[in-house]
Amino acid sequence: MSPRRADTGGRVDRQRTIRFTFDGIAYTGHAGDTLASALLANGVTLFGRSFKYHRPRGVLSAGVEEPNALVTVLKGEFREPNLPATMVEIHDGLTAVSQNRTPTLAWDIGALNQLGGKVLAAGFYYKTFMGPVFGPLKGTRFWMFCEHFIRRAAGLGRAGSTPDKARYERMNAFCDVLVVGSGPAGLMAATAAAEQGANVILAELDPQFGGSANWSGETIDGMPAASWARRVAGQLERHDNVRLLPRTTVWGHYDGNVMAAIERVSDFKERSAKGEPRHRHWTIRAKSVVLATGSLERPLVFPGNDRPGVMLAHAAQRYANEFGVLPGSKIALFTNNDSAYGAAVALKKAGAAIVAIVDVRSELSAETRSLASAAEAELLNGHAVVATEGGKGLSGIKVQRFDAVSGALTGDSRSIHADCLLMSGGWSPTIHLASQAGARAQWSPARQAFLPPKPDGRWIGAGAFTGSFSTDEAIAEGRAAGLSAAGGHAAPAVLPTVEATPCDPDPAPVFEIKAKGRSFVDFQHDVTSEDVRLAHREGFISVEHLKRYTTLGMATDQGKNSNVPGLAIMAQALGKPIPEVGTTRFRPPFAAVSLGSLAAERYGDLRPERLTPMHDWHIENGATMYSAGLWYRPMIYGLPGETVEQAYVREAKATRESAGIVDVSTLGKIAVQGPDAAEFLDRVYTNMFSTLVVGKARYGLMLREDGVAFDDGTTWRLGEQDFLMTTTTANAGKVMQHLEYFLDVIWPELKVTITSVTDEWAGAAIGGPKARQILAACVTGTPVDNAALPFMGIVHGRIAGVPVMICRLSFSGEMAFEVYCGAGYGTHVWEALIEAGKPFGLVTYGLEALGTMRIEKGHVTGAEIDGRTTARDLHLDWMLSKKKPFIGSSMMDREGLVAQDRLELVGLVSLDNRPLNGGSHIVEQLDEANPHGSIGHITACCYSPALGKYIALALVKGGKARHGTRAFASDPLRGRFGPVEIVSNHFYDPDGSRMHG
Amino acid sequence: MAEHQIPQRQSPLEPDYRVGSHGDFEHGVDVILTETRPGSILQLAAWPGEEKMLMSAIRAITGLALPDGAGGGATDGARAAFGFAPGRFTVVDETEGLAASFARVVTPAIGTVTDLSHGRTAIRIAGPKAEWVLAKLFAIDFALSAFPLGAGRSTTHHDVFTQIQRTGADQFDMYVFRSFARSFWKTLCHASEEVGYEVQ
Amino acid sequence: MLITCPYCGPRDVIEFTYQGDGNRERPNPASQDLEAWNAYVYDRLNPAGDHNEIWQHSGGCRAHLRMVRNTLTHEISSVAFVRGAAANTKSGGKP
Repeated sequence: MSPRRADTGGRVDRQRTIRFTFDGIAYTGHAGDTLASALLANGVTLFGRSFKYHRPRGVLSAGVEEPNALVTVLKGEFREPNLPATMVEIHDGLTAVSQNRTPTLAWDIGALNQLGGKVLAAGFYYKTFMGPVFGPLKGTRFWMFCEHFIRRAAGLGRAGSTPDKARYERMNAFCDVLVVGSGPAGLMAATAAAEQGANVILAELDPQFGGSANWSGETIDGMPAASWARRVAGQLERHDNVRLLPRTTVWGHYDGNVMAAIERVSDFKERSAKGEPRHRHWTIRAKSVVLATGSLERPLVFPGNDRPGVMLAHAAQRYANEFGVLPGSKIALFTNNDSAYGAAVALKKAGAAIVAIVDVRSELSAETRSLASAAEAELLNGHAVVATEGGKGLSGIKVQRFDAVSGALTGDSRSIHADCLLMSGGWSPTIHLASQAGARAQWSPARQAFLPPKPDGRWIGAGAFTGSFSTDEAIAEGRAAGLSAAGGHAAPAVLPTVEATPCDPDPAPVFEIKAKGRSFVDFQHDVTSEDVRLAHREGFISVEHLKRYTTLGMATDQGKNSNVPGLAIMAQALGKPIPEVGTTRFRPPFAAVSLGSLAAERYGDLRPERLTPMHDWHIENGATMYSAGLWYRPMIYGLPGETVEQAYVREAKATRESAGIVDVSTLGKIAVQGPDAAEFLDRVYTNMFSTLVVGKARYGLMLREDGVAFDDGTTWRLGEQDFLMTTTTANAGKVMQHLEYFLDVIWPELKVTITSVTDEWAGAAIGGPKARQILAACVTGTPVDNAALPFMGIVHGRIAGVPVMICRLSFSGEMAFEVYCGAGYGTHVWEALIEAGKPFGLVTYGLEALGTMRIEKGHVTGAEIDGRTTARDLHLDWMLSKKKPFIGSSMMDREGLVAQDRLELVGLVSLDNRPLNGGSHIVEQLDEANPHGSIGHITACCYSPALGKYIALALVKGGKARHGTRAFASDPLRGRFGPVEIVSNHFYDPDGSRMHG
Repeated sequence: MAEHQIPQRQSPLEPDYRVGSHGDFEHGVDVILTETRPGSILQLAAWPGEEKMLMSAIRAITGLALPDGAGGGATDGARAAFGFAPGRFTVVDETEGLAASFARVVTPAIGTVTDLSHGRTAIRIAGPKAEWVLAKLFAIDFALSAFPLGAGRSTTHHDVFTQIQRTGADQFDMYVFRSFARSFWKTLCHASEEVGYEVQ
Repeated sequence: MLITCPYCGPRDVIEFTYQGDGNRERPNPASQDLEAWNAYVYDRLNPAGDHNEIWQHSGGCRAHLRMVRNTLTHEISSVAFVRGAAANTKSGGKP
């Protein structure tokens, strides 16, 4: 057993030895240890190097607020930096390394930065690197030169580049009462609420429930407080309506009591079970929240207060009582309040020598004096610590007589040997979650702390959170809060009795001892009291400016230790009371949160995939898939050795020569049903649908309210009151919402049901001169000749036994048919069509060939219906009915929408026989050096096998008027410039003789 | 051309539907996942004021008496029905052809019938950890007190719109869009690994 | 943030889609009063306080909701179906 480890006491299991390494050195600890407690037990005092000056740092605290002892934990190749050693539970095989040191923690060349301390003071970066260049060593350009070195020298742990293989998950929870924190107040609140029958969640960031009861050394109901806490937690566990969440930090308090929490599910295990996540992100929607988050002890600001071996008083008490670890053998204390005396007694009891208690107050109560005697400590009241001595550990302190009112130091300083100095600058309630929820903190001059305001109905506080620092108060307030949160009435009850050392909760208003040497306010960001005063002298008087200029409170610990001392020093510099200087509002997260937990199950797979019924067939038959929105669609069915262009040219050519088939299941399909369906369609489409006969389809165009084109597609009349609307793949969701809005909000009197049936139907478009023969060979139950199935006609029949619906319409410009069947039969029908097509040379084609054939035909898609173009711009004005109003009809004729110089749809032919690029500008005069004078841009381009040329669709000013003229494609980004001819967008078969057959 | 038999419908889950035990099943299987493959899945909609008429039509055809109120539903093992939106109901039957039966009784004066038998995929999760696994995916309260037996809910997991009916104390049937079904299934299996799951 | 859908109960805001200012009044569809159309399509109130809004429960029952939301506090003081409330008013009228 290590000399620093007591034989008994605390939560550690001395029967279980755990082996781990820190900076490559093997250590042992016990089950229940944190990395900090285990290293302290091994006599380690040096944990890290500071952010800016690379000063050696030890461990300051024992909890989530730790600013100094940040480590990187390695799991194989994966590294997780900036973990407080106080929060890392050790397990066999744990590998941790220190941070921000080169080459080793003990010998760090960066420590030379300390010599340049004056230069690196607050605002160093702004002063040195911002703005214009005056001389060689100033300005933004100088920054660009120095950045690499500074980034290496200043900072925290290094992130790894290896993917994190761990599993993260999210969890949703609902409860009547969420209790945050499981100290005596939280335990009482959870119990009271649970007994009222409320559904309760109790979240505790530590592995063990009990909070301060685990280390206070007090007695509750005649037993050690820690045992009492274990018993109460055990009782809670037996309630069906209580969920206990240990190792769970509630880090966000959002609108409507939506609370965010992170549960460290398996970090403490050597390996996690199969499927067990590392972290679980909890979103808890609580009807009421009890904040029993306790309080955080503040450091005192004095020269050398950052030396390893200087620690918060309660932290040492925790290490002694909770882990059986003494942070030193000769311990001195420095305090402005009574709470440190309890720590002194506890450490004495645990076996340390208390060499001195230095108290800034000159007047002390008799009880306090008797505690000092019990600790057998020399009591130096009316004194202050003015310096610390030692290197990588503490060897001694210097004290001087101090006047707590004037702050004056008098007399000679005196040295005291000590290997550990404990400090207590009073306590700040942990009000972060209430502050996130919008509560404005109120300064209490007595407590010298910001206290939460009155509860606002969404949350209620209890215990140290409210500034009630005694366990007696915590128990009473906890019970009352639990009852109130569960909607119960306060009834008199016998509360657990507490035996505790007497303690005045009010500290002396002393935050800083002004003496020679660097006094740290923010340990993690190396902000000193002098930096705060410098910021004041330079005019940064707002607390928000102070924070940003000095970076006070902006590190990973978010100033849990430093906010109030920093504010107090600023207030003194301003000559104002603290409440007038104000405090910043806390924002989430309360403590650092793993990014993995936020990504959760979306890790690596950000979006769900949408697959068509024939997806597997496409993959098995050599399709290269292309993601279009959430959908996966075949791009090409390439043959070995083919380029993408060769493949689509072959597919398109074969389709025009014989026949091709493409999966169109992704088209948006919306069932429009009901007595008013036709009326509804007349209102949403620019053209008439009430005149469409059953068994026919019609091409339709929709505008937005502002008159701009929105979406197009065909709508099929399957019955008198039954339409099947198709939309573009990309706009399916938007069109659905658009229609739902009008039905619900604008025309609630219409009896129409709209339903997304995209997934109900598998769709195949088969087109080409042989398409009809192929259908004739496989369709039963209906003829498919011109009489039975004219252009835009619909028939019902069967293919391979499966009921199908066939509509004759064309996107490719060929004689073409869309064959729809139940999605579950999609592959079956598709294979039957392929089989029937074999003798006719049927090819499968993908999106590239589909796009090529539509460009040849000059059809528009989302690239042209881009949210800026009108029906006229796209030459679709023939679809604008004059017989009825429709969505957009009143706004579509506005001056700007009918102007002569609008971008209009045209075709382009590349005159240098080279490919054109989508997005290229069109210019009248080519100026490669100084591209300018755009008259439009290319929306889609391809090699046209039908024309034997590279062609494109474009939106060009003046449009039709330029047909037959020349211009240039100008694409400076890709260096493609070249002559083009502007032509009609209908490149191929403009009179439609092929599709009409 | 020879007359074909109507083939079996293809499941969208097929390549990823692996019958057997998976995940941490050595410690016991806490959920069972199945694709229930009902023959009919319908959506029924009533015009405002005609909801009662539609509910009696549901009772007449399926024998299921739906309780009043949002999300009210019932199931008898072979058939299930539940409300999922104002005036809208999902009705499910093991056998095919339910749309034709309803088309006869849901007149244009009452509302509409939309056949979604192919368009929605039905996935069942059953077992003591069913609520736990679903809570990973959906932000709704699955506790029996908040989500009673037979009731239905509409919600979303990322982009996957899902209707969920509680068909047992620890059993839920989910209806997702067919195109999303495989992706959703994989997510569901992934989420179930922690508790051990069996695909039947 | 939670929104209490009258059909589905309290749900996360992520299930809802904002569908615009609830104060807009759609002119008669046959009207060519461009100023009225312009006001309807483009003019929006931007109050610091209670605001009438239309939301769709797009990730749930898909009903449209008329809500009063305080833009300063996010507090939602009322939520109702649009359809039930609007069915009896002219609101846009028949073309």
